[in-house]
Amino acid sequence: MTAPDPEFSLIVTAVADVLRVEIAGDLDQTASEELVRAVAGHLTPGTAFRHLRLDFRQLTWIDSMGLAALLRTRRLTSTAGVRLRLDNRPGFLDRLLALTGTSAHLTASGSTGEEVTGTGTG
Amino acid sequence: MVPSRGLPSGSRPTGVSVGPAWSEAPCPILVVDRNGGIVEVNEAARTLLSGTAGGDRPSWHLPDWLADAHRCVTGGPSTTCAPTRSGRIGERMFEAFPTPHPDGDVVWWLIDDTDRRLAEETLRRAQERAAVLAGVSGTLLSSLSVQTCVEAAARLAVHHLADAAVLISPASPAGSDRFPVTFARAGGPVTGTTRTVDPATVPGLAEALQGLPSVPACWIDPGEVPAWVIPQGFEGPVGSVVVTPLPGHGVPDGALILLRSVGRRAFAEDEEAFAGLFAARVGAALSSVRVYGEQSRVTALLMRELLPPALGTVHGVEYAGRFRPFQDSERIGGDFYDVHPGADPAEETLVVLGDVAGKGLDAAVLTGRVRNSLHALRPLAHDHGHVLGLLNTALLTSPHERFVTLALASVLRRRAGRVRLRLTSAGHPPPLVLRADGRVEESGTYGDLLGAMPSVSFRTEELVLAPGETCLLYTDGITEARGGPVGGELYGVERLARDLTGRAGMPAEAVVERVHMLAAQWLGRGRHDDMAVVAIGAPRTGPLAVVDGDGHADRRGGADPHVGEDVRSPNTHWRQKRTRRT
Repeated sequence: MTAPDPEFSLIVTAVADVLRVEIAGDLDQTASEELVRAVAGHLTPGTAFRHLRLDFRQLTWIDSMGLAALLRTRRLTSTAGVRLRLDNRPGFLDRLLALTGTSAHLTASGSTGEEVTGTGTG
Repeated sequence: MVPSRGLPSGSRPTGVSVGPAWSEAPCPILVVDRNGGIVEVNEAARTLLSGTAGGDRPSWHLPDWLADAHRCVTGGPSTTCAPTRSGRIGERMFEAFPTPHPDGDVVWWLIDDTDRRLAEETLRRAQERAAVLAGVSGTLLSSLSVQTCVEAAARLAVHHLADAAVLISPASPAGSDRFPVTFARAGGPVTGTTRTVDPATVPGLAEALQGLPSVPACWIDPGEVPAWVIPQGFEGPVGSVVVTPLPGHGVPDGALILLRSVGRRAFAEDEEAFAGLFAARVGAALSSVRVYGEQSRVTALLMRELLPPALGTVHGVEYAGRFRPFQDSERIGGDFYDVHPGADPAEETLVVLGDVAGKGLDAAVLTGRVRNSLHALRPLAHDHGHVLGLLNTALLTSPHERFVTLALASVLRRRAGRVRLRLTSAGHPPPLVLRADGRVEESGTYGDLLGAMPSVSFRTEELVLAPGETCLLYTDGITEARGGPVGGELYGVERLARDLTGRAGMPAEAVVERVHMLAAQWLGRGRHDDMAVVAIGAPRTGPLAVVDGDGHADRRGGADPHVGEDVRSPNTHWRQKRTRRT
């Protein structure tokens, strides 16, 4: 599928109230910590950001620790009242989200703290 | 230094002029003629010589070492010239510097270096003792068992300090009067025993066992030392005794008794101080070893709780499990499995295979909690959704920031060797079923992972295994093994299913073995995540039993209320409502 251990990188861009994080390479344990640190560093209390967009166009792999990082990110955005969007998801990411039932929780368009997501059926 | 020209002796008075500065000089100065006779001395030398020889000049003579040095300088009969020109006069040590005079006399300047020598000697002893202490710590800290450490300490005490050493460890059990006692003597073996000791019967022992400063050796009457303290084979009566505490971390770690026989010098004050330092090192080392021993005992105990269980046949159904941690040196990790047998063959057996996000001990600790919770929730296992909902709530309120995925299987043996399974996946790869006709099916259960979302739902699937068929529960460490002929490629569920095709009929143990082997082969030497596999096998019935005509078990349809139903626990609804309100 891919070579093991591709270089992991994060590119963080802030435009107006949108924080955009491009994730390239394998989102594993080490990379996950970097991701959460980067997001937590920007979504400080009283942040002006209203949207967080994680761009996965160059994501090569994600493991369970990567998923844990996404769930922690989701918690950070909920607390900060920021909308989370996962852009350009590769197939394997969608499959992981589907398998673990986290797709709606993480990708629902209005995933802020006030709303309940991830129930599938009402 | 030896004057080349010799002058006739006996020229008196000396040609060396003696001025007031000379006679009042602070260091002793002697003018000695070529025959070694003292011709003139200054005040300091007079005081020195009259102090040692007494009387007046006629009875004075050069000390031997100075006479030798003098012969050397004057070129006398002594041809062997010792390089040192120093020695003792009375209680003091002097270094002598000659100034030969043309008439054959030599002026000797004596410099008192007693204090420098004492300082040097003290320094040398201190350095020796520091080296001994460093060696003691090195030796003691390298042993990991209390017994070895105690024996080494007793041996070292005899080697460096005494003719015999007795090390009394803290009472065991604590508070009792039973004390492990270790004896060592010079040239003898180290022996250990546990005996009843009344500390009051040994002078200073009660204080030492409480960690109080040791009683000075001179206060202890060697005659009062009871016979049991003296090791067998100890030569002669005891001459002097030191009893010193072994200070541990926070609490005393026993006491050390040092014995010297009458034939040997009694313990001097500085030796007692050194014994105290030695005991401090021993106490620290013993304390560390004791803490280490206690910790490793606790670790082993906890580890036993976290290790995967041994599986076998329960109520006519075969179970087998294998776990391979991500590091081959480890024994525990984030993957786990359990089989909770039904109370009787009519009751379902609950099988759990799960995966805590993360690896190593951190993850293993959470697996322990999850396993215990599921064990407790087993009576509710007729409703997997309910059990998983409760577990989700428990995980959400625990301080861990980790999630868990798992697969549940409730297993019941039916008639004709068939086995009914109810399978539920909570964010976990759906189990595979090895059918008797060789096909490998993926079960249709799905559900949400636990411990991350306030609201979770699951779909339980029910299916039946015919004799010889096997259901395989596996963690993603298997399918996410990277390797293959090109390297870096995922093993994947499709490949796993293909590799297991046609493998029906194997015992559960063999299926588990095969899956691990397949993953290991695919990996080669690549690194991997934790891997766990559990196989549930409907045993082939005996040769007389006839397998169903179609060869594989029927998948039962909607008649059963569990099948195809979205199972959600009431608890889940409650959490959902609460979340909506906030």
